[in-house]
Amino acid sequence: MALVLHTYKGNKSADKALIAAEYVGVQIDVPSDFQMGVTNKTPEFLKMNPIGKVPVLETPEGSVFESNAIARYVSRLNGGENSLNGSSLIEYAQIEQWSDFSSLEIYGNILRWFGPRMGFMPYSAPAEEGTISALKRALDALNTHLASNTYLVGHSITLADIITVCNLNLGFATVMTKKFTSEFPHVERYFWTVINQPNFKKVVGEVKQTEAVPPVASKKAAQPAKPKEEPKKKEAPAAEAPKLAEEEEAPKPKAKNPLDLLPPSPMVLDDWKRLYSNTKSNFRGVAIKGFWDMYDPEGYSLWFCDYKYNDENMVSFVTLNKVGGFLQRMDLARKYSFGKMLICGSEGPFKVKGLWLFRGPEIPKFIMDEVYDMELYEWTKVDITDEAQKERVSQMIEDAEPFEGEALLDAKCFK
Amino acid sequence: MALVLHTYKGNKGAFKALVAAEYAGVKIEEAADFQMGVTNKSPEFLKMNPIGKVPVLETPEGAIFESNAIARYVSRKNGENSLNGSSLIEYAQIEQWIDFSSLEIDANMLKWFAPRLGYAPFSAPAEEAAISALKRGLEALNTHLASNTYLVGHSVTLADIVTICNLNLGFATVMTKKFTSAFPHVERYFWTMVNQPNFKKVLGDAKQTDAVPPVPTKKAAAQPAKPKEEPKKAVQLLHLLIRE
Repeated sequence: MALVLHTYKGNKSADKALIAAEYVGVQIDVPSDFQMGVTNKTPEFLKMNPIGKVPVLETPEGSVFESNAIARYVSRLNGGENSLNGSSLIEYAQIEQWSDFSSLEIYGNILRWFGPRMGFMPYSAPAEEGTISALKRALDALNTHLASNTYLVGHSITLADIITVCNLNLGFATVMTKKFTSEFPHVERYFWTVINQPNFKKVVGEVKQTEAVPPVASKKAAQPAKPKEEPKKKEAPAAEAPKLAEEEEAPKPKAKNPLDLLPPSPMVLDDWKRLYSNTKSNFRGVAIKGFWDMYDPEGYSLWFCDYKYNDENMVSFVTLNKVGGFLQRMDLARKYSFGKMLICGSEGPFKVKGLWLFRGPEIPKFIMDEVYDMELYEWTKVDITDEAQKERVSQMIEDAEPFEGEALLDAKCFK
Repeated sequence: MALVLHTYKGNKGAFKALVAAEYAGVKIEEAADFQMGVTNKSPEFLKMNPIGKVPVLETPEGAIFESNAIARYVSRKNGENSLNGSSLIEYAQIEQWIDFSSLEIDANMLKWFAPRLGYAPFSAPAEEAAISALKRGLEALNTHLASNTYLVGHSVTLADIVTICNLNLGFATVMTKKFTSAFPHVERYFWTMVNQPNFKKVLGDAKQTDAVPPVPTKKAAAQPAKPKEEPKKAVQLLHLLIRE
């Protein structure tokens, strides 16, 4: 049985082990049928790595996770007779010191700069400033060392160089522009020399330095539909930044909207929205009563929606952002709809339940086509002859709490 | 010349090397007149560690920084012992848990703890994410320790030393009994290990915090960054974080 490395393609952390393997002369297979978010959630995978992250190396004797540990293991195969681990105890220790340094001080801070801009972690300007400052401090220290050292330890490539250059590679590829790295010229020299060594080039290919820092992820750039494929923060960054940014489709403004061609209705949506917003007291007696008085079941329809993947909603602000993103994308339908989205529960998993009023007897097709969030929810038409369903509609409009036995984390209105 | 460890007293990073030294039978002296914020900014110190952080181990052959690297060096100083496993795969799995406990446990615990002590900007969403990630890491560790007494093999290895020192900081500062009771196997593991003689010698009596430190108000944020007076508990906690 060969060595098998489980990872998604392009994982810069996996590169470390593969490059070490080139130096040591060891064969590692990387199965191409690995599916991120699927393969690494199976019971077999979790037996190898209980936290379910990648890369993981499968060997005849057992499995190893943590990219640096895998690289260390590989570096000692084939009798361990190679220069990757230094030629004395102190050299070995200093190889370890730079490996840890580059992972904690460099890679860690690159990730904290890059991740929030891609929307994998909460973005905050002061936190980003702190992270960039810490990264510069580390690169400064590295730059000082490399002013008078060609390699990190000794006079040839060691595991420290493999780990450090792979860590730097993420930075060069995603957030560290030439302008940024030009402050650390010895690091630049070191990076370009090492990454162009044959054993590196074989694994990493052509390396290009990013020309710009990715913009801060707005709600519009939030991750696309299927949450099961959503990469976790540590694993995701290797995919190049531009590939992950979602393109927002512009609604088609000039085409005539079929809803405008419906027979006129006595209900005027804007009147309802005004009544909803302006009723400050006795909401049930004024606004809810007013709603049912003006509701026209011929010209409009009411719908309940339930989020299909509530088990994913473990973190409150992520859940709220998800719903917020949905409502942003509904902007193109504002003229024809009114909605309430309730986020229920006092702790994760939070349940997202919605109530929508649409012009027309069906959910408008252009909304189904343009707003990808729609397919993440189960939609059921409200039967207003059913008193229980009518009451549910009323409760959702008025943010009744507790709702269906649960506290409300938040209630968002689309109007 | 003996091995000299430059650090402030109570540094969790230093504990790792000191516990390893007990197991490996290695003698380490702690630099007597070390002053945090002063000694580690001197040119001599920066020659040893250009980023100026602690701990740093001075040896006759050269200096080493990064607490895990120092611990690895110490573990191998006197030749063969069981700290690094008895096969290549055991060695690799020791490394895997060392990295795991640093990246998945220690890093997230610090992201929870540091802003509350005023060392980093506090943000509720960031803290929520850090706690969520920490729980995920402890959950995985808990699963492993359900059927394993030690992290690797059947006796203490470097993985246990590093992991326990990391957990010790968490138990002492932010992880209350209510929090850790969700991870009973981790609790079992932690209390057994900190009571081993070689750990107790270095760590003293391990204690679990009763409460999470409060979110800092503007007054607390104005606390001096590098206090030199006698450590009270809060100040001791400050020391645990400032490694500059």
